Amino acid sequence: MSDDPTPARGANHLEFKATLLLITLLVLVGGAALYLSYARGAFESTQQLVLIAEDSEGVSVGMDMTFAGFPIGRVRRIELAPDGNARILVDVPIKDAHWLRTTSVFALQRGVVGNTNIRAYTGILTDPLLPDGAVRSVLRGDATAEIPRLMAEARQVLQNLSAMTASDSSLNASLANVQGFTDKLKGPGGAMGALVGSDADAKKLITALDRTNTLLARLDGLAAKADTQVFGNDGLVRDARTTVTQLNAMLVDARASLQKVDAVLAEAKAVGANVNAATTDLGALRADVETSLRNVDGLINELNRKWPFKRDTELKLP
Amino acid sequence: MTTLRNLQEAVGDLGRDGLRSSLGWGVSWWHVVHAGALVMVLALSPSTYTRGVRAACARHVWVGTAPMLPWFALLASLASVVIIRIVVVTAVSYGLTQYALEMVIRVLVLELIPLTAALFVALRATVPAGGELTAMHASGALHEQEKAGADPLRHELLPRVVAGTFAVLLLAAVSCAIAMVLAYFAVYGFSIGGLGGFTRTLGQIFEPGVAMILALKTLFFSLAVALIPVAAFLRGPQSTVAPGARSSRELDSLVRLFAAILVIEIVSLVGNYY
Repeated sequence: MSDDPTPARGANHLEFKATLLLITLLVLVGGAALYLSYARGAFESTQQLVLIAEDSEGVSVGMDMTFAGFPIGRVRRIELAPDGNARILVDVPIKDAHWLRTTSVFALQRGVVGNTNIRAYTGILTDPLLPDGAVRSVLRGDATAEIPRLMAEARQVLQNLSAMTASDSSLNASLANVQGFTDKLKGPGGAMGALVGSDADAKKLITALDRTNTLLARLDGLAAKADTQVFGNDGLVRDARTTVTQLNAMLVDARASLQKVDAVLAEAKAVGANVNAATTDLGALRADVETSLRNVDGLINELNRKWPFKRDTELKLP
Repeated sequence: MTTLRNLQEAVGDLGRDGLRSSLGWGVSWWHVVHAGALVMVLALSPSTYTRGVRAACARHVWVGTAPMLPWFALLASLASVVIIRIVVVTAVSYGLTQYALEMVIRVLVLELIPLTAALFVALRATVPAGGELTAMHASGALHEQEKAGADPLRHELLPRVVAGTFAVLLLAAVSCAIAMVLAYFAVYGFSIGGLGGFTRTLGQIFEPGVAMILALKTLFFSLAVALIPVAAFLRGPQSTVAPGARSSRELDSLVRLFAAILVIEIVSLVGNYY
């Protein structure tokens, strides 16, 4: 930085270089401003989603909402609604909005380390798209909230375990019984003695088995005899076959007899028809007879009137 | 009684000295603010930039920035690589890789690089420039210029302030850009697959408030670094006649500069994290 007078050409050269440095600075600052604006989503159109949560602890402005691990939205504002719930306003870029459907579920998950995530889950991607400004309630999945419950359950499990392994526990008694059982298995009666309880009973069981064997041998002989009786040359099966043949013949005869009965019935039917016709004629005959009788009655009455020996028909009581 | 009187006199002297030093401290800061306002008005007036002033500004900007830029960029890159490596390895060992990039950017770009750039420019350019001005003032060179019809404020002070401000801004911008590129490669490796995540993380870090605080902090750093050392010579020539006054004046301006940088850094930290 000397104060020596600089030749005009050198001064121009320096001015050019200084301008170059200035342009470099402007490009860097301007580029950084543009890039950061792009990074903050200034150049993308978004739609709004309002998430209602009971507690917005851990949620901060600018944090991501993820879908399958990919950020698809950014928290723009958090405010307290009049009903005491937290309203989380999320900006979702239009190009990512198709992942959110009307049936999507939103969860606010807080990890053990303290990081909080807003996650979106969409089960059916063919449902209608989530409209702009949709309001959805958020499910809370709090890992730290689970710890006390987990501890209580673990304590319960440990207590049960210690009760099970205590000296007077049923598990111990069962193990002792198992040991007794295995001792009996090793004894003279073996597994049989262990099963029935004593050696005497085991002997009885063996005796019973022997007798059963004998019985089975006799049953075998019986079965052979029955076989002869049933399937032998003079057995029941042969007789039955003969009987069936005879029955067949009888059935043929019966069929012939029935056909004859049918014919008789047909004749009887014809007779019936004839009788019916005769009955009709009888009606006319009866009318003629009735007419004749009425004429005879009239004749008799006439005779009675004219007859000199008219008889007094009146009865007189004494 | 004598002891008591001596003690009283000593306390009285102490009080008088304290008052004098406090007054001196206040007056010197007033000189800095006054010179700053003067230079800012001059710098922002288009009529200032006559051909001679423009040439002087260009010379100081080039001479004050260009020789430093490669070295500072190299040193900043080396330091960045070391810090990025430490942060990334620590984050991986604790299973917090998702926070590594954010931490690297916050530590380097938001805090360390602007501060380092300001200190580097102060030590390499503006404090020597202030000393140079004081020497010129003491030797009467400025008076000679004034007599010759030239304005030393425009031709000597303004170009140095502009050059100092510009140097801090350019060094900080270049080093921040390099640090971001290095951080990207350290976290994602040599692939462009992580550009989306990187952009998103940057978007999350640089909220409007944080970006504004970074810009203001760097600007105030650059103004402090450019103004405080060169404004020292405005405090009158009486102290310059004392032996060793130049080095004492430089030391004084350096201390003042560090105090100002510290205050700006604390205010920016409070703004960022409270």
